[in-house]
Amino acid sequence: MQQKRMSIFVRRCLIFSALFTPFAYILAQVVALQMGDYEILGPEPGKAIVWFTGEWAFNTLLLTLAVSPARQWLGWKWPLAHRRMLGLFVMFYATLHLLSYMAFLLAWQWQDIGSELVERPYLTLGFLAWVLLIPLSITSTKGWQRRLKRKWKSLHKVIYLIALLCAIHYLLQIRSNWFDPSLYAFITLILLGQRLSLARIKGFFVRSV
Amino acid sequence: MLIKPAVDIPSSEITSHSAYLNRRKFMQQGGAAIAAMGLASSVGALETHDSTPLKFGPEWLKAQVSGASDTGFGKEEKLTPYRDVTSYNNFYEFGTGKDDPARNAGALVTDPWSITIEGECERQGTFNLEDILKSMPLEERIYRLRCVEAWSMVIPWIGFPLAELIKRFKPLSTAKYVEFTTLEAPKQMIGQRSRFSTIDWPYIEALRIDEAMNPLTLMAVGLYGEILPKQNGAPIRLVVPWKYGFKSIKSIVKIRFTEKPPINTWQAIAPSEYGFYANVNPDVSHPRWSQAKERRLPSGLFNVNRIPTQMFNGYGEQVAHLYKGMDLRKSF
Repeated sequence: MQQKRMSIFVRRCLIFSALFTPFAYILAQVVALQMGDYEILGPEPGKAIVWFTGEWAFNTLLLTLAVSPARQWLGWKWPLAHRRMLGLFVMFYATLHLLSYMAFLLAWQWQDIGSELVERPYLTLGFLAWVLLIPLSITSTKGWQRRLKRKWKSLHKVIYLIALLCAIHYLLQIRSNWFDPSLYAFITLILLGQRLSLARIKGFFVRSV
Repeated sequence: MLIKPAVDIPSSEITSHSAYLNRRKFMQQGGAAIAAMGLASSVGALETHDSTPLKFGPEWLKAQVSGASDTGFGKEEKLTPYRDVTSYNNFYEFGTGKDDPARNAGALVTDPWSITIEGECERQGTFNLEDILKSMPLEERIYRLRCVEAWSMVIPWIGFPLAELIKRFKPLSTAKYVEFTTLEAPKQMIGQRSRFSTIDWPYIEALRIDEAMNPLTLMAVGLYGEILPKQNGAPIRLVVPWKYGFKSIKSIVKIRFTEKPPINTWQAIAPSEYGFYANVNPDVSHPRWSQAKERRLPSGLFNVNRIPTQMFNGYGEQVAHLYKGMDLRKSF
């Protein structure tokens, strides 16, 4: 027992470090840039950071969604214990993504931020995805889990919607190269598809009858 | 043809190229001094390109490029540094990342180079670039370049007015448009080998003949006193400063005079997003983003250089008359 608890702790540290590394990396780049290493992120460093944080928000989101398929397809039970942390990393990178967009690309020009979020569908969807992450992050604690009881599970299914919003957010930005956005959309659909397996659909109808 | 005053200055006022080099040297030293004080990042657009001029490119072009006359056009603008102009490029033939062209364009063979002239003109045929340039006086002009992606640069081009070239081929009265084609050579251009691109190669761009004949429209063979680097569209490219950057087609191998409007590459991919004209216009948004403002590069993180975009990129005085009576919301 002692052995097992220890290994969860070690795993938690390892996963935390792994997912924190992209942030540490980009932070180091920003520090180097501000210290005068001008070439490090190119002439448009803001855009580079917005893309980087967006990619990692999506990467962590896909990892979060991969926890149940990993159990079903690979028989891995251990990731379940770390799903909360994975989810909070999604919020962490998504928030950095949104903040860096507003700060580095729109220079906090609120009027522009407002009109862009309303007028550009891909930004509206991206922003909506971030807003939907807020209640999930707040209710991610054990206390909220207890308080909400069975509703907690339904509430956290919103992550499926968030994933779809993110995939569309990325697909809507295709200009010439469609590979990366399509790959992300494809993986999203595969991971969501696992939830739609025949047995589950049957189970859903049986329960609702 | 009305020539704008800034270009039409008396020869006595034209700075020689050596004066330009001196100016560059002065700026380099200034740049070095400021960099030494550790302020380089906040200064941004200082000229710090410190290579000996003309260290690359075909020998036959070197003397001509270094002998380019300084028109003084655009001198009041703060230049975007050489390293940014040559490392942050959209040239999808070499990949869709901004740094892909600088990394991949080395494979492009730019010498010898020939251009095929076709269509509604008296003199057709394939001409060697060396022969085309032989008797063409080169000049330097500093232009703003506004990308459709809402960023912009200021670049000192070396080239000649496209009108000078067009006149030689004697377009017929039926020549209403001029179509340009970029090289298609998948062996040299890695982006053309990609199966994940929406672009139907080769890249095509076109102008109305009066746009092409406008004195602002430049054919560039150099920048910053150097021969044009490959990632910037060597050996010869178009520069149309009042239009979004994608109109300024690179590495041109064919010029065709047509009676009917050609379909441009981006226009074919997304007609609702890219029209034939693609004039810089802050009032007409790209469907996916606003064109009202632009980030003038280099742009820092906490000192974002976000400035209002000007109608016709600020060249309205020279080109607005071309579009008199047109609804620029429809003809975007």
